[in-house]
Parts: sequence; structure tokens; C-alpha cells
Amino acid sequence: MIEVDEVGVVAGDVTLLAPVSASARRGEALIVRGRNGTGKSTLLRVLAGVRKPSSGTVRIGDSAVAERDRGFRRRVSTMIGLPPMAVDLTVRDHVVLVATTWFDDPVAAVDLAHSVLAELGLDKLGERFPHELSSGQTQLFGLALVLARPFEVLILDEPEQRLDPEHIESVIRVLGSRRDVGATLVVATHSLVLAEALADHTLQLEAVA
Amino acid sequence: MSSRSHAAMSIWRARNIRTTGDHAFTIYTVLMLAIVAIIPVGRAVWLSAASPTGLSMLADAAAPSSASLIVAAVWAGALLLGRDRGPAVLPPFVTHAFATSDRPRFDTFRAPLLRSGMIVVTGCTIAAGLIGTSLASNGLAGLEAVATFTAVGVLVGVITTVAWLVGQVFPRAAVVGALGILALGAVTVAVPAVQTYTPWGWVDLAYPTSGSSPSLLALAALAIALFGLIPVLMNRLGFAQLATQAARWDSATTHAAGMDFSSAATIYQPKPHSGRRIRAVRPRAGLTWTFLVRDAIGAIRTPGRLLVGILALSSAGVLLALAFAPTTPGWLLGAAAGVIAFAGLGPLTDGIRHAASVAAGFPLYGISDERLLAQHALFPLAATLVVLLAVVMLCTILIGTASGTAAVSSLALALFALVTRISNALKGSLPLTLLIPISTPAGDPMAAVRVIWGLDAIVLAALGGAAAALAFESPVLLLGVSAILTSIGIKRWRDRR
Repeated sequence: MIEVDEVGVVAGDVTLLAPVSASARRGEALIVRGRNGTGKSTLLRVLAGVRKPSSGTVRIGDSAVAERDRGFRRRVSTMIGLPPMAVDLTVRDHVVLVATTWFDDPVAAVDLAHSVLAELGLDKLGERFPHELSSGQTQLFGLALVLARPFEVLILDEPEQRLDPEHIESVIRVLGSRRDVGATLVVATHSLVLAEALADHTLQLEAVA
Repeated sequence: MSSRSHAAMSIWRARNIRTTGDHAFTIYTVLMLAIVAIIPVGRAVWLSAASPTGLSMLADAAAPSSASLIVAAVWAGALLLGRDRGPAVLPPFVTHAFATSDRPRFDTFRAPLLRSGMIVVTGCTIAAGLIGTSLASNGLAGLEAVATFTAVGVLVGVITTVAWLVGQVFPRAAVVGALGILALGAVTVAVPAVQTYTPWGWVDLAYPTSGSSPSLLALAALAIALFGLIPVLMNRLGFAQLATQAARWDSATTHAAGMDFSSAATIYQPKPHSGRRIRAVRPRAGLTWTFLVRDAIGAIRTPGRLLVGILALSSAGVLLALAFAPTTPGWLLGAAAGVIAFAGLGPLTDGIRHAASVAAGFPLYGISDERLLAQHALFPLAATLVVLLAVVMLCTILIGTASGTAAVSSLALALFALVTRISNALKGSLPLTLLIPISTPAGDPMAAVRVIWGLDAIVLAALGGAAAALAFESPVLLLGVSAILTSIGIKRWRDRR
């Protein structure tokens, strides 16, 4: 499903990502690990199509990465940092709106939105506005926004950020269920618990010399 | 300020050691600002006040009651302003240090209050003095009346400062107080017998053309009584509220210093707290309708902000209609209408700003960025057109000018204001190239260029308003402004990531 072949990123004289290779098939999770500054987020940006690699190639689902292509947008869901949140929508409104734009059937969209909120424990916070959420709840809300849609590949940068151990377990359960139904996960993380629970393959990035 | 507070402030101020050169540069900047901006603006204001038109306005029979209404509005505004940015605000670190110390707030936060108060009192005194002097220089008022009214200006400034502080200390009661003052202000104008019993009525009675010393004494007694309440009020300032105001002001001034005025304004944008149980997203009726309803309900969730936006759009409509009256400066009224319409669109365009953020990031919605922006543009466009057309048609009927041409112009104004809003949402941060100094015989123009870049939306909105008002007199201007706005919008859209 995902083939990363000797992908490296250089900006001017600075190496942001030393060349790396990795792969993950349908229903597998690729965990990207490494210390700060080793290029985890840069690799994810290359996979998401917003950063061009200086060397090497990336293929997702047998085709090249094309961020503006409709098919690519539908196949790949990405969260690197928090997604933009509408200040005037409640949590429930927002997740339902995102789902509605992805499905022709509004009932299916509403059902998916409600099930994602329930899975992440956000159903009781559905009537809150984004500015009324704690930092951990905001992180879960961000995850809900990228999960309330169809995707074949899910790219996440440190989904455990701001979460307590109990909520990290919830996230592991939610991501594990997506992997088990055939989604390919690419997750950069500093959480050993999350990595051990999900990893089919681990890509360890080393500090750039 | 106690010796402990003074010592703490000295340490804070000493963190940036300023050389003699720094001080000299500050003096140079202030002098240049005075020569280039303050003196010409002051001269223009004085010439306007002393002109036949200005004098006829100041000497008009309705001028005293207008002055009292303005004073009531200023006090109501001060109460409301205090809720978001009071007069007792220090940098966040100093606020934390002082607010968590055992020193009373009157001791630790007195200096910023005095600074803010001085600015307000000076402004009010200058305004009152200008009115009095303008009237006296043309023999329309005596020197004693001018002195009395200038003293009224000082007292109005003191009361404004206390109202500002009251707004900071009692943010919830401030709304009720402001509405009460505005309502009583209107009653005072409508029922002259009430003037004797209201502070703004005392301003009316002390106006240079109707000068009355007893009203000055009453106003002085009120100002002294309120001044005496300052220590009690200040000691009621809460830590959380002080810290929040300090952080917001610090953040807003940082953005403004970087010419990012949109972000600075966003910091003071009210957040929604009501209407959470109204379902904003009703997906069964198609995406276009879903987004239209979603944006409308989103706007209703900050009702005060929405009301201000609609009032601003209505004011823009009035100005545009007046621009078609035979003897008015059409381009000037049109430009003012453009700026006010741009400001009024702010509360209606949260969706557009969200779409711009989404378009700059990873795909979030299952529709293209272009369609997302178009869907979010529908509600503000519909609302603006309805308000502008209704107000413009009504005003043109009342004034007796042609409704058709004004209606077409209001359509152009709505479109220009919306395109400027979209363009502003896509603007991004200050280009680094504008930070590079350029040496010319007249000095470095880049500071002025940065200011123009920061305020370009206001300039474009004014241009759009003027072009809309002169649509039939100068279609070339209309086409030119359309081309400029479109090309800037397209460029920013392409550069959004």
C-alpha cells in the first residue's frame, strides 16, 4: 500500500530527513520513531504530499503522491498538528459537517460522526465549542475530525500528544480497529505504549549528522 | 506605588538596557511622527472646526444635545471596552508577579491606570477646548464659557476613566450599565427637562453657547466622588481577569507590531457561548443549504457581534445612499461605506476564514478547497445584499434620489467588500522581503510600505466603496478596482500554502 524508497529531504545545506526506506501493506501499521529533529514530521509531510522529497520516491496505493488529486485526498487522511477548527461550531456540529462532505448518504455521515465521537469519549462533549475544551480533549477532537471520513491510509503525527495514559489506550483501540478493517496506518510517536500496541513495522530514524 | 512595587518595576524596566542612541532614536521617531502625522491632522481638524460648515454645526441649536449624547456614548463605550481591555493592564509577567503578591492592587496597578487616564483626560480636554475655542474665535461664545467647557472636558475624561475601570472590574454589569446609559442619554435628548438630573445633561447645559456654571459644579462633584472610588474598585480586580487581559493585550500588540492586524483583532473576537443546542449542521437538504444554515447559525451564536455587524452594514447602506444625493462628496461617502461594510462583514465571515485555514492545510472536507470557499461565501453574500439593498432602497426613497443606480452600486459594494474579506483571509504573514531596508534619498520607505501592507484591506475596501459609489460616473474606476481585487485574490489563493 505504501512504498517509501530512499526518500530524503534537504533544504539548502540542511538535511531535514536522511534517506530512508519503508513499506506497509493494507491493514498494517508503520510506526515512525526517533528523537526530536530526526525528520519524523518531514517524512509524514512527504507522504501527505505537502513536501516534495529531494531524493527517492513514495508510492501510495500503486500511484505517486499527488496532494491535490481528488482520489488521493479521498484515500489519505492526515493529521500533522491540529486541524483548523471552526470557532462557531460545536464539537458535534463540526464532526457531522466534515462527515457530511465525504458521504452522499447523510444518514451514513451522521452515524459515522456519532460513532467516532463515542469511540473517542467525546459524545458527552458534543455541545461544547472548541475554546471550551481542555488541551487533551482538543487533541481527541482533532483526531475525530480526521477519522470521520473514508480513508485507506491514515497519517498521524504524535496522536498521543497532551493525552493521559487512559486516553492513549482509547486512541490505541480506535486506531487498532481502523487497522483491523484494512486501513494502513503511518504513525510518528514518542509513546512506547502506542508503538508496541500498533506496530507491524517500525522505522527508526537516526539523528542527522 | 510602594517602594517594593517601585523596585520590582525598576528591575522589569532594566531588562532591556537602552543606550543613549536608543533614547535619541525614540525622540527622533516621536518628532517625525509629530511633524508628519500629528501636526497635519491637528491642523486639518482645527481648520474643519473653524470652517463655516464646522462652525455652523458647532453653533447649531442641536449641538449641545448632540454633545451630551456623544458623552453618554463615550461612557457606555468605556464600560464595554473595560470588559476586554481595561485601563489597569501591565505586561503578563509583571501582572503575575504583582497580582500574586500581598500588595493591594491600588498600589501595584495604579501606574497603568494613571497613564491610561492621562490619555483619556487629555483627549477629552482637547476636544472640549477645540469646540470652545472654535466658537469663541468667531465671537459665538465668551472666554468664561470656553474655560467652563474645557473644564467639563477634563471632568468628562476623569469620569470616562472611572467608567473604563468599572467595566474592567464588573464585566457583566458593564453591559447593563452601558445599555442603561445609552437609553437614558436618548431620553435626555428627547425630554430636555431631564437634563438637570443626568450627568450627560450637565454637559449639554455647560455647552459654550448655553454655558451654565452650576452644571460644572455638579459634574465636578460626580467626578470627585467617582475618583474617590478608584482604590476600592482597583482592589476588586481579580487575578484571572488581570492575567487574561494582560495576555490578550500582549498578544494583540505583538501581532499589530508585525502588521498582522487581522490576528490582533481576532484575539478580541467574542467566542460563542450561546446557541449550542441549536443544530447548526442539518445534512439532509444538500451541501449548499447545509453550509448556508451552518454559517447563519454560527453567526447567531455570537448575537451581539452579529448585531454590530448588521448595524455596520446598515450604516454603509445609508452612506452609499447619501453618496447619490446631489451635493454630497460621493467618492468620500462611498469610501467610508466601503470601509464600514468591510468591518460589518467580519462577524458574517467566520466560515470564510475557516475555509482559508483549511485550504492552507491538509484536506479536511470531502470537497475541493474552491468549493468549500464558495459554500462559505454564500451566507455573507446573501446577508450583505439583503441588508444593503433594503437600507439603500429605503434611504433613496426618503432622500428622493434614483433607487435603481443606488441598488446597482450596493450590489457592487457587497461584492467588493466580500472579495476584500476573502482576500484578507488568505493574506498570510508579512513577506520577509518587506523587512529589508531600502536606502533612498528620502530615507527608508519600508516602514511605510509595511504599514500599507498591514492596512491594505482597509485601503482596498475604501477603493471598492468609492468605485461602487461612482459606478455610473466612472465605470473605468469600477473595472480597475475589480481587476485589482480579483488579481490580488487569485495571487493569494495560489500562494495559500
